[in-house]
Amino acid sequence: MFDQDALNLLQRETARRQFLSRTSTGIGTAALAALLNPTESSADQRRPHHRPRAKRIIWLTQAGAPSQLELFDHKPGLRKLFGTDLPDSVRGGQRLTGMTAGQKKFPVAPSAFNFRPHGESGVEWSELFPHTSALADQICVVRSLHTEAINHDPAMTLLQTGHQISGRPSLGAWASYGLGSANENLPTYVAMISRPSGKTNAQPLHERMWGSGFLPTRHQGVRFSPGKDPVLFLSNPDGITRDRRRVMLDDLATMNRLKFDDYQDPEIEARIEQYEMAFKMQASVPELADLSAEPQRTFDLYGPESQKPGTYAANCILARRLAERGVRFIQLFHRGWDQHNRCPQGLRTQCYDTDQPSAALLKELGERGLLDDTLVIWGGEFGRTVYSQGALTNTTYGRDHHPRCYSIWMAGGGIQGGMTHGQTDDFSYNIVQDPVHIHDLNATILHLLGFDHERLTYRFQGRDYRLTDVHGNVVREVLI
Amino acid sequence: MSFNRDVRPILSDKCGACHGPDEAAREAGLRFDTKDGAMADLGGYRVIVPGKPGESELIARIESDDEDEQMPPPESKIELTDAEKRTLRRWIAEGAKWEGHWAFQPVERPVPPAVPSGRKWGRNEIDAFVLASLKREGLLPSPVADRTTLIRRLSLDLTGLPPTPAEVDTFLQDNSDDAYETVVERLLQSPHHGERMAVDWLDAARYADSNGYQVDRDREMYAWRDWVIKAFNDNKPFDEFTIEQLAGDLLPEATIDQKIATGFHRNHMMNEEGGVLPEEFLNEYCADRVETTATIWLGQTFTCARCHDHKFDPFTQRDYYSFYAFFHNNAESGKGNYGAPIQRNNPPMIQLPSPDLEARRDGLREQLKPLEARIKELPEKSPERDELTNEIVALKKQADQADLAIPTALVMQELPQPRKTFILIRGAYDKRGDEVLAGTPASLPSMADDLPRNRLGLARWLTDPANPLVARVTMNRLWQSIFGTGLVTTPEDFGSQGAYPSHPKLLDWLAVEFVESGWDIRAMIRLLVSSSTYRQSLRLTPELHKRDPGNRLLTRGARFRLQAEFLRDQALAASGLLVPEIGGPSVFPYHPPGLYEQVVAGKGRNTYVQDKGAKLYRRTMYSYWKRSVPNPAMLTFDAPFRESCVVRRSRTNTPMQALNMMNDPTYVEAAEFLARRMIREGGTTTEARITHGMRLVLGRAPGSAELKHLNAALSRYLTDFKSHADDAARLLATGDAEMADAPPATELAAYSMLAGLLLNLDETLTRE
Repeated sequence: MFDQDALNLLQRETARRQFLSRTSTGIGTAALAALLNPTESSADQRRPHHRPRAKRIIWLTQAGAPSQLELFDHKPGLRKLFGTDLPDSVRGGQRLTGMTAGQKKFPVAPSAFNFRPHGESGVEWSELFPHTSALADQICVVRSLHTEAINHDPAMTLLQTGHQISGRPSLGAWASYGLGSANENLPTYVAMISRPSGKTNAQPLHERMWGSGFLPTRHQGVRFSPGKDPVLFLSNPDGITRDRRRVMLDDLATMNRLKFDDYQDPEIEARIEQYEMAFKMQASVPELADLSAEPQRTFDLYGPESQKPGTYAANCILARRLAERGVRFIQLFHRGWDQHNRCPQGLRTQCYDTDQPSAALLKELGERGLLDDTLVIWGGEFGRTVYSQGALTNTTYGRDHHPRCYSIWMAGGGIQGGMTHGQTDDFSYNIVQDPVHIHDLNATILHLLGFDHERLTYRFQGRDYRLTDVHGNVVREVLI
Repeated sequence: MSFNRDVRPILSDKCGACHGPDEAAREAGLRFDTKDGAMADLGGYRVIVPGKPGESELIARIESDDEDEQMPPPESKIELTDAEKRTLRRWIAEGAKWEGHWAFQPVERPVPPAVPSGRKWGRNEIDAFVLASLKREGLLPSPVADRTTLIRRLSLDLTGLPPTPAEVDTFLQDNSDDAYETVVERLLQSPHHGERMAVDWLDAARYADSNGYQVDRDREMYAWRDWVIKAFNDNKPFDEFTIEQLAGDLLPEATIDQKIATGFHRNHMMNEEGGVLPEEFLNEYCADRVETTATIWLGQTFTCARCHDHKFDPFTQRDYYSFYAFFHNNAESGKGNYGAPIQRNNPPMIQLPSPDLEARRDGLREQLKPLEARIKELPEKSPERDELTNEIVALKKQADQADLAIPTALVMQELPQPRKTFILIRGAYDKRGDEVLAGTPASLPSMADDLPRNRLGLARWLTDPANPLVARVTMNRLWQSIFGTGLVTTPEDFGSQGAYPSHPKLLDWLAVEFVESGWDIRAMIRLLVSSSTYRQSLRLTPELHKRDPGNRLLTRGARFRLQAEFLRDQALAASGLLVPEIGGPSVFPYHPPGLYEQVVAGKGRNTYVQDKGAKLYRRTMYSYWKRSVPNPAMLTFDAPFRESCVVRRSRTNTPMQALNMMNDPTYVEAAEFLARRMIREGGTTTEARITHGMRLVLGRAPGSAELKHLNAALSRYLTDFKSHADDAARLLATGDAEMADAPPATELAAYSMLAGLLLNLDETLTRE
């Protein structure tokens, strides 16, 4: 038995000592850190504030805002209110988007899908999730998440960075800043994007959603893409074999050392190290991204889409492989959850894309003993309105943006399974019990990673910034 | 002990949140941001008793072990270090001398320290200040760098491009006393100087080619970017540069160029998302203008006061919204026009002078006139009338399209009826408090009565020499552009939480010099690069490591990685691929396949269509900047997203950068063309060719050990590719450019590999 983190730390420390001893001037560690990262000289002193429950996170981000009404928040009472106008007392004059503010009527649209209890816990799950619902006893569904933002960009920015206005670091970047790397051959924070298989409204994303904001850029998420170069510019150009690259790097290092002997700038040594790490990544990343060695059982488990590179299913397999290799923060973005119209049809294809792979991922993490210290989260940036956007018919309807309440699920890494948290009113319009703000969610995530969200700070523009700004309470009820 | 350097930062950082300028958050009526507050009698006792730490409540509290007494209180999770406690005790013991925050004090020209007679080092006043601080520390400056280092340093700093071998030779062979000055003048007069200066300004001004936010469609703003380049090339004085960008439209008989300049404050992001409410985003746009203006000209973090009074600096929420009111009268709608064709700018905008396109549009409109006159004479419901109607509709459409083809630029334009401005409670767009009128913060010198309360008045107030911040903040940024790090390391924050200047008197001297020169930017750049401080060698010694690890004392030249733009420009220049044309619409260089399409959606530019030919080799500052997915090399090398004002980039060193430099087709192709130059221009021996390659990249010839090593490497590469001709051919297939007079493939491939090595040297990536 050994602790992988401790081992990595040891290896890192040894490598650094060797590096330092090679610098003939023998500069002290602090001075070196200051030289390499003038704004982050205390980097090495960051340690978790308490014992972490989770060592890594897999955030299955469902971009576009999945509807809580069909997926998680069962409201059987709505059936008999089909088509009736949403009572003003429920709406309470709250803001609507520019897309439905002009509607004359707000007809109640009940879910087109059924729910039933699952597992020993008996948590109600939608028929749209035949695979995930089988794991009901491992999952905590939070039905009372809420946000302030009503449009995609500010809402996704808030979900990702704790602030509606862009410019702050993403949660993954904070995790990288707080935890550091557990595998020097791979990035600390990996982001992967998939497009919907169905014809639905796929909202665009932004590179800054996995950006590092004002944290040093090395904490930014590294995008993994399908194809020849999972990481940007990973492959050598045609005609440059791995052996040739090795030769070139040795020659390059010789030249750089000549320079170092002359100038004594430790940044030169650091550059040599970074080129070496790039070379290691050229081996470790293709090995990681190559799914051909996976047994047929894997593909059976993750479903028919999993053999197509770049799908959510294929990304879920990659997520498991990344987790196995110690990547701290793995974030999937699946686009296409913006059901302004044809909501039932859109949700069917979206759930086809995501249900089986998400469940398979949980299952495999469990089988491999990783689920205990891997926190898995599934959810989007806001919820959807109970009333129909556009015409409501017996077969179809649309739903507009709704920030007042929505649902997500969490599992593993210190989260209690087989439970729900929070309650909404009969219309899934307002929260009536245990509201959880995005800041509370983020405080809880940091708590599971071993950090007091009030003390994980970074000085920028004269202020100590936090992911949770001046807000956030850990949701203790969902913890083991 | 200096209050501003040693004590204020503690009182601000550790105590300010509860005992600072924010009245709503102030505890026990105690404040440490003013002298009166800190020294006040609080009903029989005083927190600070000068000379008597034992009687000062402050000391009792910070040294207390009692959790109920202790300051800062344990629940604040703020702790004082022992050193900080000692500093506060010593400061009180020595009399608790108080000073106003340095950056807000009027700027006065300090007398430069006398240089000891016989001292050879030093050319101008900068050096006198630097030498005096070195003397205090018992240190000496570094010797002057050699000439090849200096000309590369100057060329990169002043133009962002490497020197050509011919330029190096001219300098090396110039025996006159003013050889250095000749190089400086040549570079300052180069049209590329304006480009280089503009690069920093584009970050500050958050310039981009797309609207940002969710749908992130195109905008057309290159005319503003070109205005900036021209302004630097014309050496437009900084006060005019300021006034035209903030309020060019309000100048009497404003020219087209002055109106284009106001695009500065339309560079912010704009949300075209379907669900937006105009009020909400008008608020965002104004807030962005406040933040940008306060950061660039005042070095202040005004945005803190958007929701409450500032926690550390003397700005109230009322100050914030009064400042905001200057920007609240723009004739904009607050929402996008998602139905408009892409690239159609959202009003207010102006069409750029385009004689040919205008003539075409006007011609079509002229053709319409007789038709429209004739149709009135035709009977209703006649076949003739129907036919003419069709003709008119078609022609109108053509005329409209011709009008749309005329390029435009976003500008500021005042509403005839000013919008009202309110304090927004907690910054929320829909929670209005008191109405406010446009005005400047009460803690800064007041605005003259005769200045109009609009953007023009604001711009004149900013450029009034009485303003203590503008010249200091601007000179600090210019220093940062040339020396890599500012005298104040936080150019974005000159408030009490910002860094204290390494050379406060030097900064003040430069600020006065700047104003008195007539805000002459070029004269200031000349002054900086003329100093002996700038010309120092940058070799490190164990002594310098120990005594001045971060080079804050300026004991040596600065060494830092090149900016993202200049890395690529340098490779294009060295390889001869660079197309050095200035300005014009943005271009679409190589972009990794699929990266763009994975995140982009909606009506707009859904696929990245790479340019062909010359446009692939323009300077990097002309690359199309889409905010949701900027060119990845820019982000990898620490450029910001251009979503908000940034006046300082981080500098990281990562494996992603190594992969980018080694494998991006941009550099693979550049290596191939550099290889061709080595072979075709370098002479007949391998030594001569290698030397030529190194001179093209670094300006210098290799040392003997380097040459020996490179030569051995080359011969190995040659042997290798001779036995692997197919790999040579594959390597050379990278890139779009056609090569005339190409050397034999195996030879070219081997030289390409060596050229790639040269482009990846740490020295190549670094400004020395």
